[in-house]
Amino acid sequence: MSKRTQRKSMGYIKKDYIRTRTMPGSWYLSSYRFKFNITHFKPFQDKLKERKLVGLQCSSCNRVFFPPRLICGKCFVKPDRWVDLRETGRVATFTITYLKDLETGEVSERPVVLVQQDGSDTTYTAQLSPDVDYKDTYIGMPVKVHWAEEPTGGLMDIQFYDLVEDNSKDLELRKD
Amino acid sequence: MQKVGIVGFYQVKLLSDANYGRYEMIFEAVRGALDKAGLKKKDITTVISCTNDYYDGRTISNAFAVEAGGAYLADESKVEMDGAHALLYGMMRILSGNHKLAVIWAGSMASCFPYHSARLFETDPIWERPSAYVNDITAAGFQMRAYMEKYGVSVEEMAKVVVKNRRNASKNLLALEEAQNPNLTVKDVLDSEIYADPVTELMVAQPCDGIAAILLAPEKQALKITDKPVWITGVGYNQDAYYLGDKDLSESKSMRLAAKMAYEAAGITDPIKEINVAEIFEAYAHEELILKEALGFAEKGKGAFLNSEIDGELPINPSGGALGGNPPCGTGLIRIIEATKQITGEANGYQVEGVKKALATGQIGMCAQNNIVYILEGGN
Repeated sequence: MSKRTQRKSMGYIKKDYIRTRTMPGSWYLSSYRFKFNITHFKPFQDKLKERKLVGLQCSSCNRVFFPPRLICGKCFVKPDRWVDLRETGRVATFTITYLKDLETGEVSERPVVLVQQDGSDTTYTAQLSPDVDYKDTYIGMPVKVHWAEEPTGGLMDIQFYDLVEDNSKDLELRKD
Repeated sequence: MQKVGIVGFYQVKLLSDANYGRYEMIFEAVRGALDKAGLKKKDITTVISCTNDYYDGRTISNAFAVEAGGAYLADESKVEMDGAHALLYGMMRILSGNHKLAVIWAGSMASCFPYHSARLFETDPIWERPSAYVNDITAAGFQMRAYMEKYGVSVEEMAKVVVKNRRNASKNLLALEEAQNPNLTVKDVLDSEIYADPVTELMVAQPCDGIAAILLAPEKQALKITDKPVWITGVGYNQDAYYLGDKDLSESKSMRLAAKMAYEAAGITDPIKEINVAEIFEAYAHEELILKEALGFAEKGKGAFLNSEIDGELPINPSGGALGGNPPCGTGLIRIIEATKQITGEANGYQVEGVKKALATGQIGMCAQNNIVYILEGGN
């Protein structure tokens, strides 16, 4: 390309587009149906109705998934062994979100946690009880499932996690 | 392996709210790259674009950018990941032996949509979305906390990364103006608005408007087009588990494996000694430390102790990195352009002396789920 046309093509950009008009718009689908296999997760859902937790264990690498996963990525097989889990767990990591109420403008601090259920190898995204002061959250904090009043067999049956008393000394030190 | 060379590149100035449209921005980048290399539309044999339907507000979002991207009646397809992944696709097209010039363009306009809200839809609709509000910032909060706790790294170390990168960005004319700050202090970073504790506003790479383009050519053509080609001598890429709960957030396994693959291809045995400069895509301050460790530049948890200033032991992100402006989809490609500039000596104001081998990375996904590494070398 000659230098002249080169200058022309680049100059065109800088000169012509000094002002832009913005078109307000929205782009959403009014609905979407996420489908997933419930046959595979049926034991998990049945147990939730009884206020019990189960994890799915990969019979090849023995990792226990909670919440259950359809596939173990490492072994590339479907995990198929259900193992009972306790209601307790520990906070693996957490962050604090600051959500603004659009009407009142009030900011509410909410801890969002990843909980490792005792007996499982993976963590679950969850919330803490509203009674817990967000400043008291720490890694390793022992927590316990707070069940919904009427479990329906869905993940929302685990309403949030309650704090349980921490007896271990080293964790108490860390908290300070 | 046949050599693939970078023969031209162009990056538009990053803006937080650009006063021109997306078409023109794409045109400026691609036309600019062609002009820089002294080529014409008819020289283009394949075009790889990199945008995202969600970010562009329409489905099959490459369809609208055909003319602007130089793909009119040409061989074109799209990568909906990071620009660095688009470069990989372009490289494969060249290596197939059927193409003489590949145009790769990537980027988006974050001023048109709420970027962090859009990333809410990245989480799993069944197992994650119902239980808590998790977007990329929340996930970064999880990761930063896990890293700090595991290795006893203080939040000040994260702030130091921000101070370094935003100071470096102030010398880079193409970086985002809002991100450039030569006088930033650790206190300023920690006192800025808190997003998801411990992540503060200044620790987040600000999404902005920008497009970048790179031209690739096989060895023979590359030498005809330019006397200063930059060769891709190694590339490695790796994907980690999708669910946040399924991986160890305090390290980056995918980057470690990607780096291993790239080093093997480029014949690098001691990365810290052999690589002269690194451009790392850090969407959040802590990612620079985690990725630095995964790349083998420091031991786990010791990333903060490696001097990464422009005149340091291993300069990292002399251009300011993603903290100097993060156009969605384009940032990885910009990292490769910056590494290329360091080799050709075009990094005005932030040039590292005597660069022979440079490293650039790209990433996509929450907590840098998918990582890609390039090793670039100069010389004919």
